[in-house]
Amino acid sequence: MASTSMSRPQAPSQRAKWHQRLNDPKVLAVLLISPAMLFFFIWNVIPVLWLVGLSFYRYSPKFGRPPSFIGIGNYEDLFFDFSAWESLSRTFIWVLLSVGIETVLGIILGILFWGSDKLPGRRLALTLLFTPMLLTPVSVGAFYQYIYEPTFGILNYFLSFFGTNIDFLGNRNWAFASVLAVDVWMWTPFMILITLAALGSVPKAELEAAAIDRLPWLQRFWHIILPRSKFILMLGVLLRTIESFKTMDLIHLMTQGGPGNATDLIAISLYRTAFDSLQMGESATLALILLLTAIAFTSIYLYILNLSKREQEIAL
Amino acid sequence: MKAKTSWRTKAYYGVLWLVALLFFLPVLWIILSSFKDLNGILARPPQFIFTPSLANYRELFSIPEMVRDLRNSVIISISALFIALVVAYLAAYSFSRFRPAGTDLFMFLLLSIRMVPAAAVVVPVFLMYTAFGWKGTWGGVILYYAMFSIPFSVWILKGFIDGVSPKFDETALVNGGSRWHVITKVILPQVRPGLIAAFIFNLIFVWNEFLFNFIVSSASTETIPVLLATNLYSDGGLNWTFMTSLTTLYMIPPIVFIFFFQRYLLVGMTFGTVRGEV
Repeated sequence: MASTSMSRPQAPSQRAKWHQRLNDPKVLAVLLISPAMLFFFIWNVIPVLWLVGLSFYRYSPKFGRPPSFIGIGNYEDLFFDFSAWESLSRTFIWVLLSVGIETVLGIILGILFWGSDKLPGRRLALTLLFTPMLLTPVSVGAFYQYIYEPTFGILNYFLSFFGTNIDFLGNRNWAFASVLAVDVWMWTPFMILITLAALGSVPKAELEAAAIDRLPWLQRFWHIILPRSKFILMLGVLLRTIESFKTMDLIHLMTQGGPGNATDLIAISLYRTAFDSLQMGESATLALILLLTAIAFTSIYLYILNLSKREQEIAL
Repeated sequence: MKAKTSWRTKAYYGVLWLVALLFFLPVLWIILSSFKDLNGILARPPQFIFTPSLANYRELFSIPEMVRDLRNSVIISISALFIALVVAYLAAYSFSRFRPAGTDLFMFLLLSIRMVPAAAVVVPVFLMYTAFGWKGTWGGVILYYAMFSIPFSVWILKGFIDGVSPKFDETALVNGGSRWHVITKVILPQVRPGLIAAFIFNLIFVWNEFLFNFIVSSASTETIPVLLATNLYSDGGLNWTFMTSLTTLYMIPPIVFIFFFQRYLLVGMTFGTVRGEV
């Protein structure tokens, strides 16, 4: 009885206290972040811990046996696994070639599109140009099988004029280049987009001055355009590097990493180890290594992002 | 100056259109093929002129899973995006205005989530979902995609909120408005472009996502990319009519979106880290 009579006058003041607490920036800051934190914890912290744990076990759900602890066995296996090193080096070649070609092509075409402000139907033209990078990789993988088809594919139809026929995806020597070509087709538009954005940050006055001085184009590019646009270009190249390192759906649909292992990149190896041969422990080890690589890439990315921000502040 | 819009400019514009069309050509070929019958698709030499028919599309919608998966794609994308935007907006506001300790670290971790190869993420998530019994549940699928969309949304929204002067917050607070009022009525309308960009681009990412749905979903929560990948082969070969018509149908929303929201393309494709217009 006493408690009810006590609590009654207290209720409003408690509510006021709550209200005050909510307006306290420190409490509110945490409160507003907490849903995002919760998501982060459940879907990232738990799985990563799981991954770390699992990487010390031998576990395959196929046999229904409980996981057995093998210490750093998986790491040792991976280290001495020739095919893992092979697919890792193939991935590096893949990243180097795809990002390299896309960057060069993207910069050239980006500069070409620089003066397109008054292009009739510009919006439609850019939509068509940027379409490749917005398609489902699964679709792209599927429809290039049709274009690359050896008997009735359109590409081989054109080749037949020269009297040859190439099984683009089925031939060991051609598969890698053919898949690479699709990636270049899909992502060059991204580098064009990045180049256009980078060119937008080059001051008009300096360009006009260079035009009056009749500076040769190559020098204009090297001394005026590049210094001003290098940060955005670098960010674009890094994003492409990260994405290229991750390539999986596209190749999985077209060649499943074959023929043989001609197009077997690291992400595809990981997928195969995990879901085709169901070796969860080994795949967890590989996943963990890829995770650390991604974090390293991200820190380089942010480092450059901060550099570019600092430079902008100085410029202002 | 007018006279200068001469053949040189015209030729230049012609080249630009040619480049754009060249990139679109493979897509155009698939779209055209989707209106051919099987004989037309397999014809050699390829048919460039033919009588278009909608038969492939009729057949496509006669597949019982088709309507279900299309509906799933829409429901999953929209609801995941809605949850992600609410969660991300609140967090972005806090990061921008209060800068609690560890803001930079958390923003960094958020961005790295999106940089990890999908296969590396899916392995532990697969195990976790199996253990918790979340595999194939609506909640499991939708919340995963919400998580997938949060990092980018936080990055882009924080950028936009940083661009709104804190004076707006202060004025509203001094005039007796609550924080909640500031968050929902003062700042929210001013970051609408950020919300649109985050919505469109996460929508495209979720719409196109394949691996997670393939591994962790059940039949009832399956989306179109999975349907496409799993039904691609039939009778010992590729099902060409199915592939061309479904691919054409599924690419319409992203293409329409970039046509109308082209100015968000840059911020969208760089996870909100590079700002600017093209």
